[in-house]
Formats: sequence, structure tokens, C-alpha cells
Amino acid sequence: MKIIVNAFLWGIIVSSLVFFCSGCTSQNTDLSKGKELIKSDKRRKEERAVEKFKLAVKAIQNNTKDSAEANYLLGLYNSQGFYDADKEPEVYNAASINKRGDHMYQAYKNSPKEYLEILIFETLRSQDTNVQDAARYALKKVYESGNQQKLLKSLKKAITSKDNRDRQDARTVYTTIGKDPRFTQKIVEILIGFLDYKRKETRLNAVKSLGEIGSEIAIGKLVEIINSGSEKREKQRESPEVRRLAVEALGEIGGRAVGELVSIIQNKGSSMRVDAIQALEKLGDERAVTPLLNVLNEQGGRDVIVSY
Amino acid sequence: MDAKNRSVLVVFVCCSIFCFIGCTDNEYIDTTLGLTVQQLDGDLDDRWSTTGVVIKNASNQSGLKEGELISHVIGERKINTPSDFNRAIESAMRDGNSFTLEFIDSSQKQLRQRFSVRREGDDVGISVDDNNRIKKIKSGTLANNAGLKEGDQVLSIIDAKNIRTIKDYQKAVNEFSRAKATISFRTKELIGVKIAAINALASIADASAVETMIRFLEDTEPSLREPAAKGLERLVALSQLNGLFQQFQRKDTDQLPADGLNAELLQRAEILDLLTVDLQTNQAKLTDPIGTEFLHRSAALYKKISSTKITELVKKYIKREIEPNQEIRRSCLSILGILQPQSVIGDLIAVLEDNQETSGIRFKAGLTLSQIGSPAIEPLIASFDNGDSGIRDITASSLGNIGGSKARQALITFLKNENNDTTKLTLVDAIAKIGDDTSILALEEQQGSLDKTSGLATFLNEILTQKSETKRTEAEADSLDFLQDL
Repeated sequence: MKIIVNAFLWGIIVSSLVFFCSGCTSQNTDLSKGKELIKSDKRRKEERAVEKFKLAVKAIQNNTKDSAEANYLLGLYNSQGFYDADKEPEVYNAASINKRGDHMYQAYKNSPKEYLEILIFETLRSQDTNVQDAARYALKKVYESGNQQKLLKSLKKAITSKDNRDRQDARTVYTTIGKDPRFTQKIVEILIGFLDYKRKETRLNAVKSLGEIGSEIAIGKLVEIINSGSEKREKQRESPEVRRLAVEALGEIGGRAVGELVSIIQNKGSSMRVDAIQALEKLGDERAVTPLLNVLNEQGGRDVIVSY
Repeated sequence: MDAKNRSVLVVFVCCSIFCFIGCTDNEYIDTTLGLTVQQLDGDLDDRWSTTGVVIKNASNQSGLKEGELISHVIGERKINTPSDFNRAIESAMRDGNSFTLEFIDSSQKQLRQRFSVRREGDDVGISVDDNNRIKKIKSGTLANNAGLKEGDQVLSIIDAKNIRTIKDYQKAVNEFSRAKATISFRTKELIGVKIAAINALASIADASAVETMIRFLEDTEPSLREPAAKGLERLVALSQLNGLFQQFQRKDTDQLPADGLNAELLQRAEILDLLTVDLQTNQAKLTDPIGTEFLHRSAALYKKISSTKITELVKKYIKREIEPNQEIRRSCLSILGILQPQSVIGDLIAVLEDNQETSGIRFKAGLTLSQIGSPAIEPLIASFDNGDSGIRDITASSLGNIGGSKARQALITFLKNENNDTTKLTLVDAIAKIGDDTSILALEEQQGSLDKTSGLATFLNEILTQKSETKRTEAEADSLDFLQDL
């Protein structure tokens, strides 16, 4: 019994020591210096911090938390603006969006749960469009690397969110991933799934993304939405805003969608005729010419006596 | 099953089939009039202030066409008995529409009186006797002070029912046909759709659109004439880029080195969104899809514009007396500026000299003359000689735009003889625009004879300083080139 108690006490002491030691491991000096610089109001603070983060990324081997942070901060702050475009291409490329995205992706790899949330709900909110692009690049890499389920779950959370910015940011990520032919089919199907979602703004963003991706797979569902305007029951009608965007999306898709736009023009009861005409105008497609000439030959207003 | 039950069953089955065929969610087959009508999109009212139903199928005898939009169903109900009158009035008042009463007054004149029902519960205030003569008109009602008198005989009631849904349509047609009324439909045209179609055709720039633009420009529908004029202007402008587009066509490419192409045409094509020029990479690239699509149509459009008598057509519409719409006059002047026909110089001078015309259009006529160039110099000089200060302002700046020794000489002479200060400023500006050595010398001479505190002297001084600075920079650049060559 005594042996057991002793072993238990020793166990507690050893584990406390291990815990204490690991807790006391100080953060990489360059990383903390870099962070301090960012917080300071020193001159060229971001440029100088980036140098520190670079050193930290090189130096940190095992500490995944620190490594994640250093990589993330390097991706976040390593602006192209610090480099002279006339210099050696390698130096310039060191700050390219893809390179920054690679660092963000590395951060995700080191600490997936934390950085997936950060990338979607914080980084994409940056004022700097290069940072946004880098985050999208990183998120696409997450998708490519096969960790799709968790990413899609977070993106769903964002596009169905109450927050306008979250929804828009999620849309741009869906578009970025969906534009890659390897992933188009799946992303389009996911977006089509959102077209029945209760929040109108979610549907708006889904339709917009479908247009931006420009895949013909979406045509059928978009047409269905557009035509719902004449449904007898108001509940079954999609809102005019979403329908208008769906027409625009058909215009962006082009190709086979031209035929559908022409059908909208020919449906005299549609409220989207002008939108469809404008979409065809932007496409400049020859197939629109005859239907447009026919519109101009339509009968003008008149009074007609009918016999019965 | 006895005969009575069987007939009930047959009626029931027929009604079910009829309902099944005739009452799909947004369509209705009207067997009475031989039409199929379709519900309009619910938001057409909000977006285009349009309600009604649209004809999906129409029999030949109906006199209607597929696609026409029925906004009103109008029933003309003959009044034979007081109960006809009461029923017709009740129906007309109930739906809150407008209706017209046709009657014969005491002098046997047949007249009409229109009533608009403003709110529910309005009372027309008329009762009729067995001969359909007005028995009494109540005070404080719609008929009071409406021009009707007791004793007038009511002939018919023309009831125009506003149609919002298929149900409204069904109700109106059923009611009027039961009452054996004459039924007519009022159809409505969505002008916005036609305007959008004209704009789109002008952008796509197919050769077939030229005739369409001309047809609508010559049409009487005012809201379509202006977009048609602007559309024609765009088509003419695009057709002049054919030379540029042929270079892309010959090389079968959408990208060419910019320095090998005509800079002015490039600039015009860029303004029309057909291509983008990247000065750093020296590349002119057709925009996708508008530029790349136009590439295939450019030659046909050029051919069509060249073989159409556009000048003859548009010169009519630059005249204020013929064309009341200023925007159409402006577009037609632009077209002439692009085509630069010498035959219209006289017409342009007339616009320029028309002091009833807006100054914007008069200056535009002057600009068109400068685009025509040297053949316009003599007429412009003559116009300056005979014109007032307004005309002189325009002609002087046109001559400055054209340039050349003849225009310069005329401007210098005018400047020497001119007394009006405003015109003098324009003349100085025009001469400075020509800017060759003789012009500068003439301006310097003028400077010597001026009171140094006058506005003209300050203006002249500014121009001459600017000119000498430009000259100095150019000389420096030349010497730098020379040194580099060494």
C-alpha cells in the first residue's frame, strides 16, 4: 500500500514538473520581438517585424504553436510593398501572395483548428486585398490537401451567418475553390444546396458565387429560380433580388446559358427581360441578335375588340 | 345509375378535366375567347409599374398576338332595363375602376361622361326609370356636377377593369360575356424592354442593327428615338475601327504590339471598351468577350455603314426646327463628325449660326466642322466675318482646331481687327493652339500693343510663358538626345 501511495506521489511530482517546465518554455525570441514591434509605434515596424518572423520561422523546429504563429504573422505582414520590384525576382517573389498564402497554410498545418477559424473569420476581413488573396490561397490549399470536411463546415457556418461580412468572405472562398476545374462540380453542388436556405442573403451570395465560378452545371437551378417569379403562391416565388442576380449569373456563365437568357427575353410575362437583355449585351453573343430584333418588332399598346 | 345521376357524374368529370387543363398554377385557358393567358411575374408591378396577364396562345380570330400584355379588360354593356343599369353600375363601382357612361341629352346629342371611382363606398348617385332616363341625381355624389341632367337617356356603360391576376381576368371576361357586353382588351407595351434591346443591339454591333436603328430614329415613338440615335452613333463609331480590327483578324490573334497600331484608333477602341492597352508591356489586347466577339463582325458592320446613306439621313435631324430632341441633334452631329462628309458643311454652318439653338449644340456643330477639316475653313472664315460675337467665338475656336497656315492667317487678321474683348480671348486661345512660330510671333506683337493691366494681357502673358517653357523643355530633351547619341 505504501509503495502505491509513494508511486502516486512521485507521479504527481514528476508530472507537475513536466507541466511546469513546458509552461515555462519561453516563446522564440524573434517571434516575441516581432510581435512587440507590431504593437509598437516604431518607424517601419511591420517591415522590421517581418525580418524577425522570418528568423523565427527558420529557427523554430518543433514548437508547433510558435511555428504556427510565426508562419501566420509572416504571411499576414510580409507585404510586397517592402520590396522593390526592380530588385532580383527572388527577393520580390519572397513576398508574393502565394508565398504569403503558403505561410498561412503552414500555420494551419501546425494548428489546424485554431487557424481554420482565424483564416475564415479574421484574415479574410483584412482591409488589405493582398492579405485576403493570401488567405484564400491558403484555404484553397487546405481544400486541396484533402481536409475538406472541416473547411466546408466552417465555410457553411460563415455563408449562413447573420454577419454580412462573413457571408461575403465565404462566398469569395467558394468561388476561389470552385474555379478550379477539379473542384467545380462539388462546390457548385454545395452552393446549389444553399439556394433553398432560409436566409435570403445566403442565397444571394450562393447565386453570386455560382456566377463567378461560371460553370454550366448551375444553369438548370438558376433558371428554376428566375422562373419562380410567376408562381401563384408568393411563398414559392424567389425574391426579385435573388432572381436578378441569377440572371446576371447566367450572363457570367455564358455558353449554354445564352439560350436560357434568350428564353427569358421571349417570356413576355417575365420581370427579368431587361436584366436578361443587359446580360446578353455584356456577352456580345451573336445568338442574341435575332431575339433582340424580335423584341423590337413586338406589338405596341392598343385596344382590340374581341369576338366570342 | 339512373339518368339524372349519370348526367351529374358526367358534369362532374367534365368540370374536373376542365379545371385540370384550364387552371395550372400560372396559366389559364380561356375557352370563351380562345386564348391562353399567363400570370406576370409578381414583381413586375414594383419594378415596371405593370400589372396584367400575358397572352401565351391566341387564336387567329381573336385579333391578338402572342406575347401581348393585357392591362385592362373593357366591357361595353348596353343598357336596356333599369336592372341592366343597376348591375352594370354595381360591378363598375365594386372593382374601383374607371368607367364611362354613354347617354343622349335633351337635344338628342350622344355624349360620354367618364367617372373615376376614388375610394370604396363612392356613390355614382344616379337612378333611372323604365326608359333608362335619369330619374334623379343625388347631391354630393360622383354624378353631381358631372354634366349629366335628369331626363338624359343612358345608352351604355363602358367599364374598364384593371387586370392584376389571372383571377381578375377570368372574373372580368366571365361577367362581361354573361352580360353579352362587347369585350375589348387594352394592351400595354413595355418600352423599357425595347430601350434595353436597342442599347444591347448597339453594343453587340451586328450589321443588321443598322437598319433597326434607322427605323426607330425615323419612327414616331419619342422614347425609342433617342436610344436609336445613340445606338446609330455607336455603330458608326465602331465601323470606323474596322482597319484596326482587320490587323487582329489577319494575324488571327486577340493581342498585338500597341506601337504597331494607329494610336488614335486604339484610343477610340479603348474608350468603347473593345480593347485595353498596356503601355508597360506594349500590348493591345481585345477585351473578352465584347472585343473578341466584335472582331468577327467588324468587316460586315463597316460594309453596311459604308453602303447606307447615313449622312443624308442624319443631316435632317441636326436642325432644331425638325428635331425637337436636343440629344438626338447631338448624336447626329457626332455621327457627322465621325463620317466627316463635306456635303454637310453648309448645314453645320447653319446650326452654328442659329442663335435660337443651345450653345452646347452650336459648339458641337463647330467641333464637327473642325473634324471635317480644311474644306470647312473658307465657310468658317465667311461665318466669322458676318457673324455676331457668339458666332465668332465658335468659328474662331473651330479654326484653331483645324490649324494650318490658312486658318492661322485668318485668325491673326481677325485678332488685329477685333474690338470685342471676349472674342479677342478666343482668338488668342485659337492662335496659341496652332502654336507654330508665326502664331507665337503674332501673339508677341499683339502683346506689345496691349495695356499691361488688362485681362487679355494677363491671358496672353500666361500663354506665351507656357509656350516658351514647353519650347525650352523640348530643346533640353533634344540636346539630351544629341548627347546620348554622341
